Amino acid sequence: MNLRKWLDRIEPKFLKGGSLQAFYPLYEAIDTALYTPGKTTAGATHVRDGIDLKRIMITVWLAAWIPGFFGMFFVGLQANEAMQTLGQTELAGWRGWFLNMLTGFDPNSVWDNFLHGFFYFMPIYIVTFTAGILAEAVFASRRGHEINEGFFVTSILYSLTLPATTPLWMVALGIVFGVVIGKEVFGGTGKNFLNPALTGRVFLYFAYPAQMSGDAVWVPVDGHTGATALGALATDGGYNTSWLTAFIGNIPGSMGETSTLAILLGASMLLIMRIASWRIMLGCLVGMVAMASFFNLVGSDDNPMFAIPWYWHLVLGGFAFGTVYMATDPVSAAMTDRGRLYYGFLVGVFCVLIRVANPAFPEGMMLAILFGNLFAPLCDYVVVQNNIKRRKRRMAHSG
Amino acid sequence: MAASKDALVDPIFNNNPIALQVLGICSALAITISMAQTLVMCAAVIFVLGMSSLIISAIRHWIPINIRIIVQMIIISSLVIVVDQFLKAFAYEISKSLSVFVGLIITNCIVLGRAEAFAMQNPPWLSFLDGIGNALGYSVILILVAFIREVFGAGTLLGYPVLATVGDGGWYQTNGLLLLSPSAFFIIGLLIWVLRAWKPAQVERPEYTIAPNLQYSEHYQHSKS
Amino acid sequence: MADRQFNKDSVRNILLVAFSISLICSVLVSLSAVILKPRQDANALLDQRRNILVAAGVLSEGKTENAEGQGIQEIFLAEFEERVVDLRTGDFVDSSELDRNYDPIKAAKKPDQSIRLSADSDIALLLRRENLTSIDLRRNPDGSIRQVILPVRGYGLWGTLYGYLALQDDYLTVAGLSFYSHKETPGLGGEVDNPNWKAQWPNRRIYDSTGEPAIRLVKGMRRDDYSIDALAGATLTTRGVENLIRFWTGELGFGPFLKKMANRQGAVSL
Repeated sequence: MNLRKWLDRIEPKFLKGGSLQAFYPLYEAIDTALYTPGKTTAGATHVRDGIDLKRIMITVWLAAWIPGFFGMFFVGLQANEAMQTLGQTELAGWRGWFLNMLTGFDPNSVWDNFLHGFFYFMPIYIVTFTAGILAEAVFASRRGHEINEGFFVTSILYSLTLPATTPLWMVALGIVFGVVIGKEVFGGTGKNFLNPALTGRVFLYFAYPAQMSGDAVWVPVDGHTGATALGALATDGGYNTSWLTAFIGNIPGSMGETSTLAILLGASMLLIMRIASWRIMLGCLVGMVAMASFFNLVGSDDNPMFAIPWYWHLVLGGFAFGTVYMATDPVSAAMTDRGRLYYGFLVGVFCVLIRVANPAFPEGMMLAILFGNLFAPLCDYVVVQNNIKRRKRRMAHSG
Repeated sequence: MAASKDALVDPIFNNNPIALQVLGICSALAITISMAQTLVMCAAVIFVLGMSSLIISAIRHWIPINIRIIVQMIIISSLVIVVDQFLKAFAYEISKSLSVFVGLIITNCIVLGRAEAFAMQNPPWLSFLDGIGNALGYSVILILVAFIREVFGAGTLLGYPVLATVGDGGWYQTNGLLLLSPSAFFIIGLLIWVLRAWKPAQVERPEYTIAPNLQYSEHYQHSKS
Repeated sequence: MADRQFNKDSVRNILLVAFSISLICSVLVSLSAVILKPRQDANALLDQRRNILVAAGVLSEGKTENAEGQGIQEIFLAEFEERVVDLRTGDFVDSSELDRNYDPIKAAKKPDQSIRLSADSDIALLLRRENLTSIDLRRNPDGSIRQVILPVRGYGLWGTLYGYLALQDDYLTVAGLSFYSHKETPGLGGEVDNPNWKAQWPNRRIYDSTGEPAIRLVKGMRRDDYSIDALAGATLTTRGVENLIRFWTGELGFGPFLKKMANRQGAVSL
């Protein structure tokens, strides 16, 4: 308990009037990360559940590592396979220095593959975390609120949506944009209407399209190109992989989005623990299936994307990842139960609509969720107003 | 003389048409992609706004109240067409890239707004200064936006390279978002933020206030002690 | 003063003000339009010629004079000659028959001056193609043909790309390609303006051995006489550029003209 004592001893320095007052948020963050917060509610007790914000965030954070680990493995596997094809046996640069020392580049070795991917994901995650937490800390200090655990989730989700080859300075710029413009300018956690991780991702997508899309960015091997399945569909009209491969996740794509299998594992974890809203996920799924079937029915002579069945939409691109981890963000999603269904449905519909109908964006999940975020308050409004109307009618009848 | 100085200077920072009144945003988004375009656009707006305020103010005692908006519109649109013709004759390249946006000065809320709100009630010289002042306020914001967009979006300023871009073998990776019109929204938003941090009087009163969250901060410190 | 009796809202005054304001303003607007018209036309022509010079590689982008300090008009009048080609036959026609303001792009919208393209042949997505168009010949000091500059256009991702394709004196080899107007995404499709990408075009051959349009935009390192690098991350712009070059060098474009000229190579004296 020495640490506890030490923390208590230095605390006055960070309180109002103390010499380190400006750094209170940092102190608070470290204190509450190590110990259960000492605060209690002042009013009447209103405990409805043993869960709190901190536990929710940490659970999502943990769940996000499942597709993360799968993603690292498949990034490494694809990189090692590409190196084998191209006859490369060593990697240049600082990554190469570590990897050449620690392991080989054998695509048949699980360890080699995982470590290769790990050395692409971890630098991105560390940079995301550092840059983002700094941006949060600046605002927290100025405004006198705490650094929120929500950033744990933002940081991992943001990292998982990036291609493995994203330059690290871009990673930092994107997360700072996401945190500041997507969240802090609106007043911080709980007041943002957009998902900050996706705000950062979409900033990078429009600012540096050459590094965020195309067919050279997904597999981190020089001279190797591999289009995402959706990209290939949009340009050539054919599947460049089998459904099972896509489901398991051995396809080019952003690091966390490729393995639908892993995402389903994460989803079941979140649903069993009742962290994420099943209504949103269901809404997304129904919206996607409905829109995909609609396009299948309509058909098109010159746009092969019309013919993609829903079970392919499910395993390609960021649909599964977005549905489970991004659309369910409790702050930027709809708040009412029925509203969540509407909101999810809208996201699913827009995802397929953008994928199929827009020639420039073969993948639409990111934009669909941000679009859904904008409509979430409207979904709630409609639900609440309908409720009020219904009750009024009931009053009128009974009265 | 204080009144005329105020009419000229006040709209630049204290009562900026874009940053405070949030008018004239449309052209601010569309044309700020390059500094050269922006400067020409600003010059056009300064001319149109100054002259329209002057002319409308000069004849304000004769303008019938029922057709005043139409009269104002005719004067403004004539001035705009003349400016457009001059640009096509003397700055063809830029007029081509400005395309419809010079013509759209007619619909710029700032121009009609100043005519109706100021020039109709004030003497010509003061109205002229007010018009110029508002146009300068518009220009200041546009030039700042254009500076950011051109330097960081294309690595150039007025067409001259200032940051060596990756495309030309340098180090600077150009930011494609800044070349898209919506980026001006972000930049204008950030400029408003800076301006209001500098001049807190411009901050609007919130429509409602959220009750302080007692669970945190102050209360936390009380409950511990 | 008379002002005491003056009622600015009287019907009389409303009519008077409306009339006089309209009159003054219309005179002002008409005057400026009429007086400045010649200058504006000259500007439009100069702009078109500048684009042609850029495609021919005489001027670099954004410049108005060459290394020797010659202006656009000077270079153009010294080396270039505008000719009218009938795309149906591939023959030159007398340009004096044409309206001075003839615009091939506008003509392509008029049913009597253009043909409708069938869905199969309309790879550049133009809907209609004009019958007569103007091209430019660039001559050596001795009068022989040095380059021929053809206007090309076609649909990319967001809109139509307009440009000029310059060919060498054999009518079969590219000398340069330059787009002067397009709406492609900055950084992706917008890279059609990148000098490094444009530098690949000279010396590519437009027809294969069977005489079919053969220019391809491909990914990767393949290098042959017909291949240009695809634009990274801009598949649809790439496809648009490939298709528009193929269309305009094909049978419905300048194909007949180019083949006739290539056959008569050396004997061209017009």
